[in-house]
Amino acid sequence: MAFTLPMADAAKQFPKYTFLRALTPSAQKAAFHVRDAAGKDLCLKIVAPHNETERLFREIRAMQVIAHPNVVRLIEYTFSTTPGQQQHYLIEEFIDGKDLSDHLAAGKPWDLPRAHTFFAELCDGLAALNQHEIVHRDLKPHNIRVRPNGQPVIIDFGLARHLTLPDLTLTVQGARLGTPAYYSPEQFDGVKYDIDHRTDLFALGIIMYEALTGTMPFLASNITIGQLRDAVCQGTKHLKTPQFLALPERTRLIVAKLLEKDRARRPTDAGQVAVLLRKPPTTGAVKP
Amino acid sequence: MKRGAWHQCGDKSQRLVEEQLEAGHGVGVVLSPRDLKADALAAFAATYRGLGADVIVDTQFYVPDFSNKNLQTYTISKFRQSVSALHQISDPELSELSAELEAGTRAMHGSAVVAPAVLYEAGRHEIVQLNARLFGAAKSVGDALGVPTYATIGLAKSVTGATKTVTDALNAATALPADGWYYAFEFEDERIPSARDAVYRCCEAGLTLAATAKPVLHAYGGPMGLLSFGFGASGVGIGHSQNLWKFTRDRWEPPAPPGKRKPPPPRFFSQSLWGTIVYPDESVQLSATLRAAVLAPSTPFCGPVHATPPRSWSSWDAKKHMLCVQAQTFARLEKSKTARAAATAAGKQLKDAVALHARIKDARLKLKDNTNAYQENWRLALSDLLKHRSADFDYMEL
Repeated sequence: MAFTLPMADAAKQFPKYTFLRALTPSAQKAAFHVRDAAGKDLCLKIVAPHNETERLFREIRAMQVIAHPNVVRLIEYTFSTTPGQQQHYLIEEFIDGKDLSDHLAAGKPWDLPRAHTFFAELCDGLAALNQHEIVHRDLKPHNIRVRPNGQPVIIDFGLARHLTLPDLTLTVQGARLGTPAYYSPEQFDGVKYDIDHRTDLFALGIIMYEALTGTMPFLASNITIGQLRDAVCQGTKHLKTPQFLALPERTRLIVAKLLEKDRARRPTDAGQVAVLLRKPPTTGAVKP
Repeated sequence: MKRGAWHQCGDKSQRLVEEQLEAGHGVGVVLSPRDLKADALAAFAATYRGLGADVIVDTQFYVPDFSNKNLQTYTISKFRQSVSALHQISDPELSELSAELEAGTRAMHGSAVVAPAVLYEAGRHEIVQLNARLFGAAKSVGDALGVPTYATIGLAKSVTGATKTVTDALNAATALPADGWYYAFEFEDERIPSARDAVYRCCEAGLTLAATAKPVLHAYGGPMGLLSFGFGASGVGIGHSQNLWKFTRDRWEPPAPPGKRKPPPPRFFSQSLWGTIVYPDESVQLSATLRAAVLAPSTPFCGPVHATPPRSWSSWDAKKHMLCVQAQTFARLEKSKTARAAATAAGKQLKDAVALHARIKDARLKLKDNTNAYQENWRLALSDLLKHRSADFDYMEL
């Protein structure tokens, strides 16, 4: 369940900001669009009491090391406790625009140049995460903001994992974190060790598929979690749909590669995918 | 990584390699510390570099029990037992290993760092973790020296026996942020790998690595290197002796004491057979037409074979001839525009070899080395690869 806080109550706690509107909360944080005294728009996230601080610290660590236009920027993090009062919040850059999920909601396929440009930029952001050995683990349209100029920004690192840091308590072997519609085979079937940056690339493949075809590759109406698991771990129907086959060969190969069941067969990093996406899209004959 | 044949040292072949490079055969050298003391290794590295070759060292940590006086001259050898046999290394030791690796690579001006590693075994996650730590140490050296770091992906028999275990090992190994792959696939003990399914798995794993868009050096490839460019490898390790033709840990067994057996007769490595024929015992039994087809190509090392009448030929010259033929063939294959084209060219060569073997069989001659045991299976394995992994070939062509 999402953690919510009335905006008026929040405004009382943070008088130096002007509260403009409440943003979509998560289970751990209430979020608000605020403006500081200098007129700068920001995103204020108030952490729920009794929140699992170690997971939050992980998110903070992830955000602190990355400075990239396609990854949300952390401006301030405060955790202070005084008798009778606790302040625990983050201030992030405010990203105007909408969630990617809003752009995909209509189910209408994007035109190719727009898709290639958008996802190449998204790959730049993922490559920055990879460079810092961070796996997002919950990449989905709700966690990608789209600026008014069309630029994607990866947000919400609540499940991110720093691959080089010990992580023994938060995700026990076999425990599942993330959003099933964007799960990779290793999230369904694997153990903790199986999650790496290519898990994010699989989610990217699902999102690309969704944008390019207007359909989901594995999720269907009335599907059970078991059927979804089977489709993700073994299914190949998504590669044979008319919508997918109508795409140019280059685009199909890239998406199919991202959606490989075995991590070894996916691209090794998002930077490679960005390079391929930036090559001029082909519009020639479609090879079935 | 330079594309073409890499001389795989490890069986007293330093001078031979030098001679091959002088003749323009081969683009790189994989040095082996078991053969050379540390100071000699640096000196040979300089010689090879002077001949235009890239030079790397395979520390061969994947062999637990081997030791000799040469190995003891390397400072990193003190970690060998702990890493290779016990699969463990402490953080301070890892830092020390990294420093020693850097000093060694700096001294020989290595063109890349090959990460020390043990063989991947099925279901052994601690090996994955150990190799990741060893890779991290090597990567810091590569980054400090400004040269690429290749992850060593040596797949043990417990892995190579089934597709599932190969996939699991590659899923883990390819998570490493390597600049390339130093790849070895352990086969069952056989002079030259011949089982179609095993060869297919080797090629499929190689293709998976190549499809990462990072260079692959197929270590200990030998004659099987004919297939390597077809699965997208950039380089193939070749060597003069059977120990260097394929990757098995048995090769590290101490050699049997020399007996009084008569040394075996030389073998002529025939490009058209893509295999060996005993010279002169078998070659003289061929008709003139067949002989001309089999005893090809001619190289600077096989003059006595083509003399009239044929003269005695030394085993060393036979080995030099073989390396020369392989290096020339691989130099041609690496120029193929795509891996698919290289696979197709290799398939054609193997098909022709099978036809030539059929002609020899028709002449009622059975070759002693069982040379015709693998060509058809290799061809079929390549054909299967082109068929089943077509999308990977397409992807590599993007």
